Amino acid sequence: MTILTLENIHKTFKNGDVEEEILKGISLSLKQGEITALTGASGSGKSTLLTIAAGLQPPTSGHIYFESHDLAELKPDQIRHIRASQFGFVFQFAHLVPFLTVEEQLIFMLDVSDSKQNKQQRAAEIKRLLELVDMEHRRTAYPASLSGGEKQRIAIARAMVHQPTILFADEPTASLDSKRSKEVMTLMRNLTKELGITTLMVTHDQDTMAYADHMIEMKDGCLSQPV
Amino acid sequence: MNLGWKEIKRNKIRFVILGSIVFLVSLLTFMISGLANGLSQDNAALIKNLPDGTLYLEAEAEGNYSFSSIDSEFQEDLLAMSDEVTAFSIQMGFVDDQDDKQHSVAFVTSTASDDFAHADHGEVILDQSLKEDGIAVGDILTNQQFDGELEVVGFVEESKFSHAPVAYINIQDYQDMYRTESLQILYTPEEQAAINTEHLQAYSPAEFLNTIPSYQAEQLSLNMIIWFLVVISGMLFGIFFYMMNVQKIGLYGILKAVGVKTSALFKMIWLQMLLITIIALAFSISLSHLFNLFAPAGMPFHLTAITTIQLSVIFLIIGFAGATISGFQIKKAEPLQAIQQGES
Repeated sequence: MTILTLENIHKTFKNGDVEEEILKGISLSLKQGEITALTGASGSGKSTLLTIAAGLQPPTSGHIYFESHDLAELKPDQIRHIRASQFGFVFQFAHLVPFLTVEEQLIFMLDVSDSKQNKQQRAAEIKRLLELVDMEHRRTAYPASLSGGEKQRIAIARAMVHQPTILFADEPTASLDSKRSKEVMTLMRNLTKELGITTLMVTHDQDTMAYADHMIEMKDGCLSQPV
Repeated sequence: MNLGWKEIKRNKIRFVILGSIVFLVSLLTFMISGLANGLSQDNAALIKNLPDGTLYLEAEAEGNYSFSSIDSEFQEDLLAMSDEVTAFSIQMGFVDDQDDKQHSVAFVTSTASDDFAHADHGEVILDQSLKEDGIAVGDILTNQQFDGELEVVGFVEESKFSHAPVAYINIQDYQDMYRTESLQILYTPEEQAAINTEHLQAYSPAEFLNTIPSYQAEQLSLNMIIWFLVVISGMLFGIFFYMMNVQKIGLYGILKAVGVKTSALFKMIWLQMLLITIIALAFSISLSHLFNLFAPAGMPFHLTAITTIQLSVIFLIIGFAGATISGFQIKKAEPLQAIQQGES
Protein backbone atom coordinates (compact mmCIF):
# COMPACT_ATOMS: atom_id res chain seq x y z
CA MET A 1 0.00 0.00 0.00
CA THR A 2 1.34 3.43 -0.93
CA ILE A 3 1.72 5.73 2.06
CA LEU A 4 3.30 8.83 0.55
CA THR A 5 3.41 9.96 -3.04
CA LEU A 6 5.53 12.75 -4.39
CA GLU A 7 4.38 14.00 -7.76
CA ASN A 8 6.42 16.17 -10.07
CA ILE A 9 8.22 18.06 -7.28
CA HIS A 10 10.15 21.14 -8.29
CA LYS A 11 12.14 23.31 -5.93
CA THR A 12 13.81 26.52 -6.96
CA PHE A 13 15.91 28.76 -4.73
CA LYS A 14 16.63 32.37 -5.51
CA ASN A 15 20.15 33.53 -4.91
CA GLY A 16 20.07 37.22 -5.67
CA ASP A 17 18.91 37.51 -9.25
CA VAL A 18 19.94 33.94 -10.00
CA GLU A 19 17.37 31.16 -9.73
CA GLU A 20 18.72 27.72 -9.00
CA GLU A 21 16.55 24.68 -9.53
CA ILE A 22 17.41 22.10 -6.87
CA LEU A 23 14.68 19.56 -7.63
CA LYS A 24 13.57 19.03 -11.22
CA GLY A 25 10.24 17.26 -11.31
CA ILE A 26 10.73 14.36 -8.94
CA SER A 27 8.04 11.72 -8.48
CA LEU A 28 8.22 8.75 -6.15
CA SER A 29 6.08 6.61 -3.87
CA LEU A 30 6.78 5.10 -0.47
CA LYS A 31 5.14 1.80 0.42
CA GLN A 32 4.07 0.77 3.88
CA GLY A 33 6.75 -0.75 6.07
CA GLU A 34 9.52 -0.28 3.54
CA ILE A 35 12.79 1.53 4.06
CA THR A 36 13.76 3.72 1.14
CA ALA A 37 17.23 5.19 1.05
CA LEU A 38 17.88 8.41 -0.86
CA THR A 39 21.47 8.61 -1.88
CA GLY A 40 23.56 10.83 -4.07
CA ALA A 41 26.40 13.29 -4.08
CA SER A 42 26.45 16.33 -1.90
CA GLY A 43 24.20 19.01 -3.39
CA SER A 44 22.16 16.53 -5.40
CA GLY A 45 19.01 17.65 -3.57
CA LYS A 46 18.33 14.57 -1.43
CA SER A 47 17.99 16.45 1.88
CA THR A 48 15.80 19.08 0.21
CA LEU A 49 13.57 16.31 -1.12
CA LEU A 50 13.32 14.71 2.33
CA THR A 51 12.39 18.00 4.02
CA ILE A 52 9.75 18.71 1.36
CA ALA A 53 8.31 15.19 1.75
CA ALA A 54 8.22 15.75 5.53
CA GLY A 55 6.36 19.05 5.18
CA LEU A 56 9.24 21.08 6.56
CA GLN A 57 9.34 23.29 3.50
CA PRO A 58 6.95 23.67 0.57
CA PRO A 59 7.82 22.68 -2.99
CA THR A 60 7.89 25.38 -5.64
CA SER A 61 5.46 23.20 -7.55
CA GLY A 62 4.20 19.65 -7.38
CA HIS A 63 2.12 17.58 -4.97
CA ILE A 64 2.80 15.53 -1.84
CA TYR A 65 -0.03 13.11 -1.17
CA PHE A 66 -0.36 11.67 2.29
CA GLU A 67 -3.59 10.03 3.48
CA SER A 68 -5.74 11.85 0.93
CA HIS A 69 -4.16 15.21 1.79
CA ASP A 70 -1.90 17.18 -0.49
CA LEU A 71 0.65 18.66 1.90
CA ALA A 72 1.39 21.37 -0.66
CA GLU A 73 -2.17 22.62 -0.24
CA LEU A 74 -2.44 22.47 3.55
CA LYS A 75 -2.02 25.37 5.97
CA PRO A 76 1.19 25.44 8.09
CA ASP A 77 -0.66 24.44 11.27
CA GLN A 78 -2.33 21.48 9.53
CA ILE A 79 1.10 20.33 8.29
CA ARG A 80 2.53 20.82 11.80
CA HIS A 81 -0.24 18.62 13.18
CA ILE A 82 0.57 15.88 10.66
CA ARG A 83 4.28 16.15 11.49
CA ALA A 84 3.53 15.84 15.20
CA SER A 85 1.13 12.92 14.99
CA GLN A 86 2.04 10.96 11.84
CA PHE A 87 5.70 11.62 11.17
CA GLY A 88 8.81 10.73 13.10
CA PHE A 89 12.21 12.36 12.64
CA VAL A 90 15.76 11.20 13.17
CA PHE A 91 18.46 13.70 12.31
CA GLN A 92 22.21 13.57 11.89
CA PHE A 93 22.51 14.73 15.51
CA ALA A 94 20.17 13.48 18.22
CA HIS A 95 18.93 16.97 19.15
CA LEU A 96 17.49 15.80 22.47
CA VAL A 97 15.95 18.33 24.84
CA PRO A 98 18.86 18.95 27.27
CA PHE A 99 16.71 19.41 30.36
CA LEU A 100 14.59 16.28 29.95
CA THR A 101 15.56 12.80 31.08
CA VAL A 102 15.55 9.92 28.63
CA GLU A 103 12.09 8.87 29.77
CA GLU A 104 10.79 12.44 29.63
CA GLN A 105 11.99 12.83 26.03
CA LEU A 106 9.52 10.11 25.07
CA ILE A 107 6.70 11.39 27.28
CA PHE A 108 7.19 14.82 25.74
CA MET A 109 6.90 13.40 22.21
CA LEU A 110 3.70 11.60 23.18
CA ASP A 111 2.34 14.95 24.44
CA VAL A 112 3.34 16.71 21.23
CA SER A 113 1.61 14.04 19.14
CA ASP A 114 -1.61 14.37 21.20
CA SER A 115 -1.40 10.67 22.03
CA LYS A 116 -4.67 9.33 23.35
CA GLN A 117 -2.97 6.67 25.45
CA ASN A 118 -3.65 6.74 29.17
CA LYS A 119 -0.86 6.96 31.73
CA GLN A 120 -0.43 3.20 32.12
CA GLN A 121 -0.41 2.61 28.38
CA ARG A 122 2.15 5.35 27.95
CA ALA A 123 4.37 3.98 30.67
CA ALA A 124 4.20 0.49 29.17
CA GLU A 125 4.95 1.77 25.66
CA ILE A 126 7.89 3.85 26.86
CA LYS A 127 9.27 0.91 28.85
CA ARG A 128 8.93 -1.40 25.87
CA LEU A 129 10.61 1.05 23.53
CA LEU A 130 13.45 1.77 25.94
CA GLU A 131 14.02 -1.95 26.27
CA LEU A 132 14.05 -2.29 22.49
CA VAL A 133 16.73 0.40 22.20
CA ASP A 134 18.48 -1.08 25.23
CA MET A 135 18.26 2.13 27.22
CA GLU A 136 15.85 1.14 29.99
CA HIS A 137 18.70 1.33 32.51
CA ARG A 138 19.33 4.98 31.53
CA ARG A 139 15.73 6.17 31.73
CA THR A 140 16.48 8.83 34.36
CA ALA A 141 19.68 10.06 32.71
CA TYR A 142 19.97 13.47 31.09
CA PRO A 143 21.39 13.81 27.54
CA ALA A 144 24.59 15.41 28.83
CA SER A 145 25.56 12.09 30.43
CA LEU A 146 24.86 9.96 27.34
CA SER A 147 27.31 8.90 24.65
CA GLY A 148 26.68 9.81 20.99
CA GLY A 149 25.37 6.34 20.23
CA GLU A 150 23.08 6.34 23.26
CA LYS A 151 21.71 9.75 22.29
CA GLN A 152 20.94 8.55 18.79
CA ARG A 153 19.19 5.47 20.16
CA ILE A 154 17.01 7.75 22.27
CA ALA A 155 16.40 9.96 19.24
CA ILE A 156 15.18 6.86 17.38
CA ALA A 157 12.96 5.87 20.30
CA ARG A 158 11.57 9.42 20.44
CA ALA A 159 10.85 9.34 16.72
CA MET A 160 8.87 6.13 17.06
CA VAL A 161 7.20 6.34 20.45
CA HIS A 162 4.01 7.81 19.00
CA GLN A 163 4.01 5.11 16.33
CA PRO A 164 4.26 7.40 13.32
CA THR A 165 3.18 6.35 9.86
CA ILE A 166 6.42 7.56 8.30
CA LEU A 167 9.92 7.95 9.69
CA PHE A 168 12.14 10.57 8.06
CA ALA A 169 15.82 10.04 8.76
CA ASP A 170 18.42 12.52 7.57
CA GLU A 171 21.92 11.00 7.73
CA PRO A 172 21.05 9.21 11.00
CA THR A 173 24.49 7.69 11.41
CA ALA A 174 26.67 10.54 10.14
CA SER A 175 27.82 11.54 13.61
CA LEU A 176 28.61 7.98 14.74
CA ASP A 177 31.54 5.65 14.29
CA SER A 178 31.05 2.50 12.21
CA LYS A 179 30.31 0.22 15.19
CA ARG A 180 27.67 2.61 16.57
CA SER A 181 26.31 3.16 13.05
CA LYS A 182 25.69 -0.57 12.67
CA GLU A 183 23.98 -0.74 16.04
CA VAL A 184 21.77 2.22 15.29
CA MET A 185 20.80 1.05 11.81
CA THR A 186 20.06 -2.50 12.99
CA LEU A 187 17.89 -1.02 15.68
CA MET A 188 16.13 1.32 13.29
CA ARG A 189 15.44 -1.43 10.79
CA ASN A 190 14.16 -3.83 13.46
CA LEU A 191 11.89 -1.21 14.98
CA THR A 192 10.42 0.04 11.71
CA LYS A 193 9.77 -3.52 10.59
CA GLU A 194 8.21 -4.48 13.91
CA LEU A 195 5.99 -1.40 14.04
CA GLY A 196 5.26 -1.34 10.28
CA ILE A 197 6.66 2.15 9.89
CA THR A 198 7.54 3.42 6.42
CA THR A 199 10.98 5.02 6.29
CA LEU A 200 12.55 7.57 4.00
CA MET A 201 16.23 7.92 4.81
CA VAL A 202 18.89 10.17 3.36
CA THR A 203 22.38 8.74 3.47
CA HIS A 204 25.57 8.70 1.50
CA ASP A 205 27.08 5.92 3.59
CA GLN A 206 27.40 2.61 1.73
CA ASP A 207 27.04 0.51 4.89
CA THR A 208 23.85 2.32 5.88
CA MET A 209 22.34 1.79 2.43
CA ALA A 210 22.52 -1.95 3.02
CA TYR A 211 19.71 -1.66 5.58
CA ALA A 212 17.27 -0.19 3.03
CA ASP A 213 14.69 -2.14 1.02
CA HIS A 214 15.00 0.29 -1.87
CA MET A 215 17.63 2.75 -2.87
CA ILE A 216 17.04 5.78 -5.03
CA GLU A 217 19.98 7.74 -6.30
CA MET A 218 19.69 11.41 -6.96
CA LYS A 219 21.82 13.39 -9.33
CA ASP A 220 21.56 17.11 -10.05
CA GLY A 221 18.02 17.34 -8.70
CA CYS A 222 16.69 14.34 -10.64
CA LEU A 223 16.18 10.71 -9.77
CA SER A 224 18.51 8.37 -11.57
CA GLN A 225 17.63 4.69 -11.94
CA PRO A 226 16.93 2.82 -8.66
CA VAL A 227 20.13 1.02 -7.70
CA MET B 1 4.48 17.88 30.16
CA ASN B 2 5.52 21.22 31.47
CA LEU B 3 8.74 22.03 29.62
CA GLY B 4 9.19 25.36 31.40
CA TRP B 5 9.12 23.81 34.85
CA LYS B 6 11.40 20.97 33.77
CA GLU B 7 13.96 23.49 32.53
CA ILE B 8 13.81 25.44 35.79
CA LYS B 9 14.34 22.23 37.77
CA ARG B 10 17.29 21.24 35.60
CA ASN B 11 18.91 24.69 35.52
CA LYS B 12 18.18 25.84 39.06
CA ILE B 13 21.18 28.13 39.46
CA ARG B 14 20.46 30.05 36.28
CA PHE B 15 16.87 30.74 37.35
CA VAL B 16 17.78 31.40 40.98
CA ILE B 17 20.18 34.11 39.78
CA LEU B 18 17.45 35.76 37.71
CA GLY B 19 14.96 35.37 40.57
CA SER B 20 17.44 36.95 42.99
CA ILE B 21 17.93 39.95 40.74
CA VAL B 22 14.17 40.38 40.33
CA PHE B 23 13.80 40.01 44.10
CA LEU B 24 16.42 42.69 44.77
CA VAL B 25 15.02 45.08 42.18
CA SER B 26 11.44 44.61 43.38
CA LEU B 27 12.50 44.92 47.03
CA LEU B 28 14.29 48.16 46.23
CA THR B 29 11.21 49.37 44.36
CA PHE B 30 8.91 48.55 47.30
CA MET B 31 11.31 50.21 49.74
CA ILE B 32 11.61 53.38 47.67
CA SER B 33 7.87 53.36 47.10
CA GLY B 34 7.36 53.04 50.87
CA LEU B 35 9.78 55.90 51.37
CA ALA B 36 8.04 58.03 48.72
CA ASN B 37 4.66 57.36 50.33
CA GLY B 38 6.13 57.98 53.77
CA LEU B 39 7.63 61.29 52.72
CA SER B 40 4.41 62.19 50.96
CA GLN B 41 2.48 61.47 54.17
CA ASP B 42 5.07 63.38 56.14
CA ASN B 43 4.71 66.31 53.79
CA ALA B 44 0.99 66.37 53.22
CA ALA B 45 -0.98 63.94 55.39
CA LEU B 46 -3.18 66.86 56.50
CA ILE B 47 -4.42 67.32 52.93
CA LYS B 48 -4.16 63.67 51.78
CA ASN B 49 -6.34 62.47 54.65
CA LEU B 50 -9.16 64.84 53.68
CA PRO B 51 -12.09 63.16 51.91
CA ASP B 52 -12.20 63.80 48.14
CA GLY B 53 -13.26 67.34 47.50
CA THR B 54 -12.11 70.72 46.24
CA LEU B 55 -9.77 73.25 47.80
CA TYR B 56 -9.98 76.96 46.97
CA LEU B 57 -7.30 79.61 47.27
CA GLU B 58 -7.58 83.28 46.60
CA ALA B 59 -7.05 83.71 42.86
CA GLU B 60 -4.42 86.41 43.40
CA ALA B 61 -2.34 84.02 45.51
CA GLU B 62 -1.39 82.23 42.24
CA GLY B 63 -1.30 78.80 43.80
CA ASN B 64 0.67 79.73 46.89
CA TYR B 65 -1.49 78.99 49.93
CA SER B 66 0.61 81.20 52.22
CA PHE B 67 -0.28 84.25 50.08
CA SER B 68 -3.96 83.37 50.04
CA SER B 69 -6.39 85.38 52.12
CA ILE B 70 -10.11 84.69 51.75
CA ASP B 71 -12.21 87.78 52.29
CA SER B 72 -13.83 87.26 55.71
CA GLU B 73 -17.24 88.59 54.64
CA PHE B 74 -17.28 86.33 51.61
CA GLN B 75 -16.20 83.46 53.82
CA GLU B 76 -19.02 84.18 56.30
CA ASP B 77 -21.58 84.27 53.48
CA LEU B 78 -20.41 80.92 52.14
CA LEU B 79 -20.37 79.27 55.55
CA ALA B 80 -23.86 80.59 56.22
CA MET B 81 -25.11 79.06 52.96
CA SER B 82 -23.71 75.59 53.60
CA ASP B 83 -22.35 73.84 56.66
CA GLU B 84 -20.34 71.54 54.34
CA VAL B 85 -17.87 74.33 53.56
CA THR B 86 -14.82 74.59 55.79
CA ALA B 87 -12.37 77.46 55.93
CA PHE B 88 -8.93 76.75 57.30
CA SER B 89 -5.42 78.11 57.54
CA ILE B 90 -1.96 76.62 57.78
CA GLN B 91 1.05 78.51 59.14
CA MET B 92 4.46 77.08 59.81
CA GLY B 93 5.77 77.96 63.25
CA PHE B 94 7.26 76.79 66.54
CA VAL B 95 6.07 75.89 70.02
CA ASP B 96 8.24 75.90 73.11
CA ASP B 97 7.66 73.18 75.68
CA GLN B 98 8.03 73.46 79.43
CA ASP B 99 11.79 72.86 79.14
CA ASP B 100 12.03 75.71 76.60
CA LYS B 101 12.75 73.18 73.91
CA GLN B 102 11.55 74.38 70.54
CA HIS B 103 9.46 72.16 68.24
CA SER B 104 8.66 72.95 64.63
CA VAL B 105 4.92 72.63 63.91
CA ALA B 106 2.33 73.55 61.31
CA PHE B 107 -0.40 75.54 63.04
CA VAL B 108 -3.80 74.69 61.63
CA THR B 109 -7.10 76.25 62.49
CA SER B 110 -10.47 75.79 60.88
CA THR B 111 -14.10 76.64 61.12
CA ALA B 112 -16.28 73.87 62.59
CA SER B 113 -15.63 70.68 60.63
CA ASP B 114 -15.49 66.92 61.15
CA ASP B 115 -12.37 66.77 58.97
CA PHE B 116 -10.22 68.91 61.29
CA ALA B 117 -9.53 68.45 65.00
CA HIS B 118 -11.18 71.17 67.08
CA ALA B 119 -9.35 72.86 69.93
CA ASP B 120 -10.96 75.32 72.36
CA HIS B 121 -9.43 78.63 73.29
CA GLY B 122 -6.06 78.04 75.01
CA GLU B 123 -5.88 74.42 73.90
CA VAL B 124 -3.83 72.60 71.28
CA ILE B 125 -4.18 69.16 69.70
CA LEU B 126 -0.94 67.77 68.29
CA ASP B 127 0.17 65.12 65.86
CA GLN B 128 1.21 62.04 67.80
CA SER B 129 4.81 62.24 66.52
CA LEU B 130 5.39 64.95 69.14
CA LYS B 131 4.78 62.33 71.86
CA GLU B 132 8.22 60.94 70.98
CA ASP B 133 9.66 64.37 71.78
CA GLY B 134 8.36 63.94 75.31
CA ILE B 135 5.22 66.08 75.03
CA ALA B 136 2.22 64.70 76.89
CA VAL B 137 -1.42 65.64 77.50
CA GLY B 138 -1.60 68.45 80.05
CA ASP B 139 1.72 70.02 79.03
CA ILE B 140 1.72 73.76 78.52
CA LEU B 141 3.23 75.07 75.31
CA THR B 142 4.04 78.65 74.38
CA ASN B 143 4.70 80.58 71.21
CA GLN B 144 6.66 83.78 70.81
CA GLN B 145 3.89 85.40 68.73
CA PHE B 146 1.17 84.41 71.18
CA ASP B 147 0.72 86.02 74.55
CA GLY B 148 -1.30 83.20 76.07
CA GLU B 149 -0.49 79.56 76.69
CA LEU B 150 -1.59 76.43 74.88
CA GLU B 151 -2.47 73.34 76.88
CA VAL B 152 -2.03 70.01 75.12
CA VAL B 153 -5.45 68.28 75.25
CA GLY B 154 -4.88 65.43 72.85
CA PHE B 155 -3.07 63.86 69.95
CA VAL B 156 -4.19 62.84 66.48
CA GLU B 157 -2.68 60.23 64.16
CA GLU B 158 -0.93 60.99 60.87
CA SER B 159 -1.48 64.70 60.68
CA LYS B 160 1.56 66.33 59.19
CA PHE B 161 2.22 69.16 56.81
CA SER B 162 5.48 70.15 55.14
CA HIS B 163 7.36 67.55 57.23
CA ALA B 164 6.17 69.16 60.47
CA PRO B 165 3.59 67.82 62.93
CA VAL B 166 0.29 69.67 62.84
CA ALA B 167 -0.79 71.69 65.88
CA TYR B 168 -4.57 72.31 65.81
CA ILE B 169 -5.41 75.56 67.59
CA ASN B 170 -8.55 77.55 68.14
CA ILE B 171 -9.47 80.12 65.49
CA GLN B 172 -9.38 82.94 68.06
CA ASP B 173 -5.87 81.95 69.17
CA TYR B 174 -4.81 81.78 65.53
CA GLN B 175 -6.12 85.29 64.91
CA ASP B 176 -4.21 86.54 67.95
CA MET B 177 -1.09 84.77 66.85
CA TYR B 178 -1.07 85.94 63.22
CA ARG B 179 -3.01 89.22 63.60
CA THR B 180 -5.47 88.37 60.82
CA GLU B 181 -9.21 87.87 60.60
CA SER B 182 -9.21 86.00 57.33
CA LEU B 183 -8.37 82.36 56.65
CA GLN B 184 -6.41 81.06 53.67
CA ILE B 185 -8.17 78.03 52.23
CA LEU B 186 -11.73 76.89 51.60
CA TYR B 187 -12.56 73.21 51.41
CA THR B 188 -15.73 71.61 50.10
CA PRO B 189 -16.38 67.86 50.06
CA GLU B 190 -17.04 66.08 46.77
CA GLU B 191 -20.85 66.16 46.99
CA GLN B 192 -20.87 69.92 47.54
CA ALA B 193 -21.58 72.11 44.49
CA ALA B 194 -18.57 74.03 43.20
CA ILE B 195 -18.00 77.60 44.34
CA ASN B 196 -17.92 79.74 41.25
CA THR B 197 -16.32 83.09 41.70
CA GLU B 198 -13.52 84.86 39.95
CA HIS B 199 -11.92 85.63 43.30
CA LEU B 200 -11.13 81.99 44.00
CA GLN B 201 -9.05 79.37 42.23
CA ALA B 202 -10.18 75.74 42.65
CA TYR B 203 -7.71 72.88 43.23
CA SER B 204 -8.13 69.15 43.55
CA PRO B 205 -6.26 67.73 46.58
CA ALA B 206 -3.60 66.35 44.17
CA GLU B 207 -3.19 69.77 42.55
CA PHE B 208 -3.06 71.43 45.93
CA LEU B 209 -0.27 69.08 47.06
CA ASN B 210 1.89 70.44 44.26
CA THR B 211 1.55 73.93 45.72
CA ILE B 212 3.42 72.71 48.81
CA PRO B 213 7.05 73.79 48.46
CA SER B 214 9.34 70.80 47.65
CA TYR B 215 6.46 68.31 47.47
CA GLN B 216 6.51 67.93 43.70
CA ALA B 217 10.30 67.84 43.43
CA GLU B 218 10.55 65.25 46.21
CA GLN B 219 7.87 62.98 44.80
CA LEU B 220 8.98 63.41 41.19
CA SER B 221 12.52 62.24 41.90
CA LEU B 222 11.37 59.26 43.99
CA ASN B 223 8.72 58.24 41.46
CA MET B 224 11.29 58.51 38.71
CA ILE B 225 13.51 56.05 40.60
CA ILE B 226 10.55 53.69 41.06
CA TRP B 227 9.69 53.73 37.36
CA PHE B 228 13.31 53.28 36.37
CA LEU B 229 13.49 50.20 38.59
CA VAL B 230 10.29 48.82 37.06
CA VAL B 231 11.65 49.37 33.55
CA ILE B 232 15.00 47.82 34.57
CA SER B 233 13.21 44.72 35.83
CA GLY B 234 11.38 44.43 32.49
CA MET B 235 14.65 44.80 30.63
CA LEU B 236 16.23 42.18 32.89
CA PHE B 237 13.57 39.69 31.85
CA GLY B 238 13.95 40.69 28.23
CA ILE B 239 17.73 40.33 28.25
CA PHE B 240 17.73 37.12 30.31
CA PHE B 241 15.19 35.34 28.12
CA TYR B 242 16.81 36.76 24.98
CA MET B 243 20.15 35.22 25.99
CA MET B 244 18.46 31.94 26.86
CA ASN B 245 16.47 31.94 23.63
CA VAL B 246 19.56 32.66 21.53
CA GLN B 247 21.24 29.65 23.15
CA LYS B 248 18.17 27.51 22.49
CA ILE B 249 17.37 28.68 18.98
CA GLY B 250 18.55 25.35 17.54
CA LEU B 251 16.47 23.41 20.04
CA TYR B 252 13.42 25.50 19.20
CA GLY B 253 13.94 24.75 15.52
CA ILE B 254 14.11 21.01 16.20
CA LEU B 255 11.04 21.14 18.45
CA LYS B 256 9.15 22.99 15.72
CA ALA B 257 10.30 20.37 13.21
CA VAL B 258 8.87 17.52 15.29
CA GLY B 259 5.58 19.39 15.55
CA VAL B 260 5.70 21.50 18.73
CA LYS B 261 3.48 24.57 18.42
CA THR B 262 5.19 27.98 18.58
CA SER B 263 2.53 28.97 21.13
CA ALA B 264 3.64 26.07 23.36
CA LEU B 265 7.19 27.49 23.37
CA PHE B 266 5.86 30.94 24.27
CA LYS B 267 3.81 29.39 27.08
CA MET B 268 7.03 27.81 28.33
CA ILE B 269 8.82 31.15 28.77
CA TRP B 270 5.68 32.85 30.12
CA LEU B 271 5.38 30.19 32.78
CA GLN B 272 9.03 30.60 33.69
CA MET B 273 8.65 34.37 33.89
CA LEU B 274 5.48 34.05 35.97
CA LEU B 275 7.01 31.57 38.41
CA ILE B 276 10.19 33.56 38.92
CA THR B 277 8.36 36.86 39.30
CA ILE B 278 5.75 35.51 41.72
CA ILE B 279 8.36 33.85 43.94
CA ALA B 280 10.64 36.93 43.84
CA LEU B 281 7.68 39.22 44.57
CA ALA B 282 6.50 37.00 47.43
CA PHE B 283 9.89 37.41 49.10
CA SER B 284 10.23 41.12 48.44
CA ILE B 285 6.65 41.89 49.52
CA SER B 286 7.10 39.91 52.75
CA LEU B 287 10.37 41.63 53.55
CA SER B 288 9.21 45.15 52.70
CA HIS B 289 6.01 44.74 54.74
CA LEU B 290 7.99 43.36 57.66
CA PHE B 291 10.09 46.49 57.41
CA ASN B 292 6.89 48.54 57.26
CA LEU B 293 5.84 46.97 60.57
CA PHE B 294 9.14 47.33 62.36
CA ALA B 295 10.58 50.51 60.82
CA PRO B 296 11.63 53.13 63.40
CA ALA B 297 8.66 55.36 64.31
CA GLY B 298 10.36 58.53 63.08
CA MET B 299 11.19 57.06 59.69
CA PRO B 300 8.92 58.28 56.91
CA PHE B 301 8.04 54.83 55.52
CA HIS B 302 4.51 54.02 54.49
CA LEU B 303 3.84 51.03 52.24
CA THR B 304 0.17 50.29 51.60
CA ALA B 305 -1.38 47.07 50.33
CA ILE B 306 -2.80 48.94 47.32
CA THR B 307 0.61 50.30 46.32
CA THR B 308 2.10 46.81 46.74
CA ILE B 309 -0.59 45.22 44.57
CA GLN B 310 -0.28 47.93 41.92
CA LEU B 311 3.50 47.60 41.73
CA SER B 312 3.29 43.79 41.69
CA VAL B 313 0.84 43.86 38.78
CA ILE B 314 3.13 46.30 36.95
CA PHE B 315 6.10 43.99 37.57
CA LEU B 316 4.15 41.06 36.14
CA ILE B 317 3.06 43.05 33.09
CA ILE B 318 6.58 44.37 32.47
CA GLY B 319 8.06 40.88 32.99
CA PHE B 320 5.51 39.44 30.57
CA ALA B 321 6.34 42.12 28.00
CA GLY B 322 10.11 41.55 28.39
CA ALA B 323 9.76 37.79 28.05
CA THR B 324 7.37 38.10 25.09
CA ILE B 325 9.57 40.54 23.16
CA SER B 326 12.57 38.27 23.66
CA GLY B 327 10.34 35.36 22.60
CA PHE B 328 10.21 36.71 19.06
CA GLN B 329 13.44 34.74 18.67
CA ILE B 330 11.23 31.65 18.90
CA LYS B 331 9.21 32.79 15.92
CA LYS B 332 12.42 33.22 13.96
CA ALA B 333 13.66 29.69 14.78
CA GLU B 334 13.83 27.77 11.51
CA PRO B 335 13.38 23.98 11.67
CA LEU B 336 15.35 23.48 8.47
CA GLN B 337 18.30 25.52 9.70
CA ALA B 338 18.27 23.71 13.04
CA ILE B 339 18.29 20.29 11.40
CA GLN B 340 21.29 21.18 9.29
CA GLN B 341 23.22 22.58 12.26
CA GLY B 342 25.11 20.54 14.81
CA GLU B 343 23.93 19.46 18.23
CA SER B 344 22.15 22.28 20.09
